[in-house]
Amino acid sequence: MSRIPDDIETRLRAAAPSGISYEQKTDPLGVTVAWCELANKDELLAIAECLARCGARLSMITGSQPPAPPEVEAEESETDAGDGVAEAASPEPTLSFGGTPLDGTAYELDYHFDLAGDALTVVALVAQGSSIASLTPVYRTADWPEREIMELYGLRIVGHPDPRRLFLDKSIEPAVLERLIPFSTLTNATSTSDLWSKVMEAGKEASQ
Amino acid sequence: MTTTSIADPMSPATTTIPVGPLHVALEEPMYFRIDISGERVAHVGINAGHVHRGIEYLATKRTLIQNVVLTERICSLCSNSHPEAFAMAAEEIGGIEVPERGKYLRVIAAEVKRVASHLFNVAILAHLVGYDALFMHVMQVREIAQDLKEGVFGNRMDLGAICIGGARYDLDEETTALLRSSLDKLEPEIAEIEKTYRTNGSILRRTRDVGVLANSDAIACGVVGPVARASGVDYDVRREAPYHVYDRMPVEVKTRQDGDVWSRAMIRLHEARNAISIIRRCLDTLPTGPVNVGEKPDVPAGRAVARSEAPRGELIYFLKTGDSEQPERLKWRVPSFMNWDALTFMMRDAKVADIAIIVNSIDPCVSCTER
Amino acid sequence: MNFLALFARNLTKGPYTEPFPFAPAPTAKRFRGKIEFDAETCEGCRLCERVCPAGAIRMTRTAEGMTFDCWHDSCVFCGNCEFHCPTKSIHQTADWHLAHTQDQKFLMVEHALIPNQICAECGKEALATAPATRTVTPPLSPTETQHLKALCPKCRAKFIRARKAAA
Repeated sequence: MSRIPDDIETRLRAAAPSGISYEQKTDPLGVTVAWCELANKDELLAIAECLARCGARLSMITGSQPPAPPEVEAEESETDAGDGVAEAASPEPTLSFGGTPLDGTAYELDYHFDLAGDALTVVALVAQGSSIASLTPVYRTADWPEREIMELYGLRIVGHPDPRRLFLDKSIEPAVLERLIPFSTLTNATSTSDLWSKVMEAGKEASQ
Repeated sequence: MTTTSIADPMSPATTTIPVGPLHVALEEPMYFRIDISGERVAHVGINAGHVHRGIEYLATKRTLIQNVVLTERICSLCSNSHPEAFAMAAEEIGGIEVPERGKYLRVIAAEVKRVASHLFNVAILAHLVGYDALFMHVMQVREIAQDLKEGVFGNRMDLGAICIGGARYDLDEETTALLRSSLDKLEPEIAEIEKTYRTNGSILRRTRDVGVLANSDAIACGVVGPVARASGVDYDVRREAPYHVYDRMPVEVKTRQDGDVWSRAMIRLHEARNAISIIRRCLDTLPTGPVNVGEKPDVPAGRAVARSEAPRGELIYFLKTGDSEQPERLKWRVPSFMNWDALTFMMRDAKVADIAIIVNSIDPCVSCTER
Repeated sequence: MNFLALFARNLTKGPYTEPFPFAPAPTAKRFRGKIEFDAETCEGCRLCERVCPAGAIRMTRTAEGMTFDCWHDSCVFCGNCEFHCPTKSIHQTADWHLAHTQDQKFLMVEHALIPNQICAECGKEALATAPATRTVTPPLSPTETQHLKALCPKCRAKFIRARKAAA
């Protein structure tokens, strides 16, 4: 195991010819936290192989569905993605650094790597209806996290050796995190108005 | 006992037995579908999901301040590490600098939890070995740590020691004295317990060369914490990626090469003793000043990764905030999540009677894993 | 470990367990138990309601004023409310005696009312909350605080402004 090498950016750029957006920060205790956003999600596997050669350990994978940025921000979007974004009146959604439309339905996958204490997160954006390659050929540790992402979202991960459900039962409808679950259901109805009217009624009586 | 043939899952002599979901080692549900050949394990299938509660979804419906408490309740044994890593992520986004005293207090809380958590695990090991007198004794010693937590933090499990921007508790003369006297009681007891685990025949016969995880397998599975260190992986977040004031603490990262159940127990006992030295150093060098930054710190939109060394190993939090008070996404991976996979290596050709001991040796936490 | 010595030690020490319920169980001073609310000192900022992770606290405007309810059966005893309360009007007592039968469950509530009052200046009806005086410099005297408490929010603000102008 070794920490993030000095030439990591060059190595990552070589592995991902479509481009990356890279930034890193080292804290006073010498721990570096780096972020690498891919322009092209199909270059993920090459990046993973590059990191595996650096001795990185895949620590966690986060799946999420980032909400669409508010309309006003689209005007002064800092991402220089070109078509459709610069025009303020355009109804086109904001594009990510790599050109994935950020319309609230695209998926963001964050692959959190550890290099002997330094943290490097590879960010890949996948448009709705598209898919991404599994990291399991390179990292055994990608198995469970990818299975979990597949059961929580409607995202397809291609090349996973065992794409069964991980935690959720087969009877549960897929893509649970893409649905709105009523809060009272989520909290077992412990804070509904019905319940509170009873509590407050009883509280009033008891205090009289 | 001798093995005559390498177990083959396809051979007609293979039988499938269910182990779990209840009472495999701890009273937490995990279902193992185990193919056995004779008395040996041929194949392990892990079936999870019995306590999946959707906390990650719930966390996105709660404010950051509420989530400090919610994350503390994900798990009981490493309850302090969750809000700790979560708060570190929020502080990273908000650019909040925790006051020195707050950092020390956070270390004290984390190490107290480590002592109690490790003692609990080695106690269960004695129970599974069938040495219940030792089990009762270790649990009794752990009770000193439990009483200490109740006296200093007000609760035996959920310390409530963390808030975004620092620590939520402070030490006064009375609680410092309680801490010191409890540590003085704990230290010789743990040293004695360590000696027993090192020399007692019943323990050694059931744990040496049992559930071996080779170094290469440990790296492939990405295991963390005592499980990794017992297999020669020299990694501890407190040393590799120091946070709070761990760079100034006497953190001893001990590794062993055998990778068996016994090595994992010995690593835990060593860490429990080391934790006591760390708490003592904190008490000796505790600076004065505020313990946190004050009311309701502001956390803007942003993203951050934070890691801490929970008793069971590396705990990682990823926080993404937007413009609202609720996080856009909060994701965490607990040490147990990585360690389950290693069981398939540990149980290879293991005796059926050793399954529970091996499962316990990764200090499994199901409520953490499934959230 | 010498288990004979341990055996002897445990024999002389006697039981480790508490004799509860036949004798009181010792409880730590800092124990985080049942919530207590003091309507007298509450400023009515409702922060407790917002920071409570379990949704166990509700403050409601009624015809009589504002009610405070904390249902102990939802409470997780985290102490977030006390920690964030600017006036420490919420306090976690060391009382853990909360066992009850099913038919008693809705009675497990800390209930209080911050009543309405008629403003001593303008005569309007407003909540009789404690005035927020922590940031006022120089600090208010007890008589000033007493006077401020009898006012509505608008008249309170007027009073503070006038005081500042005079200083």
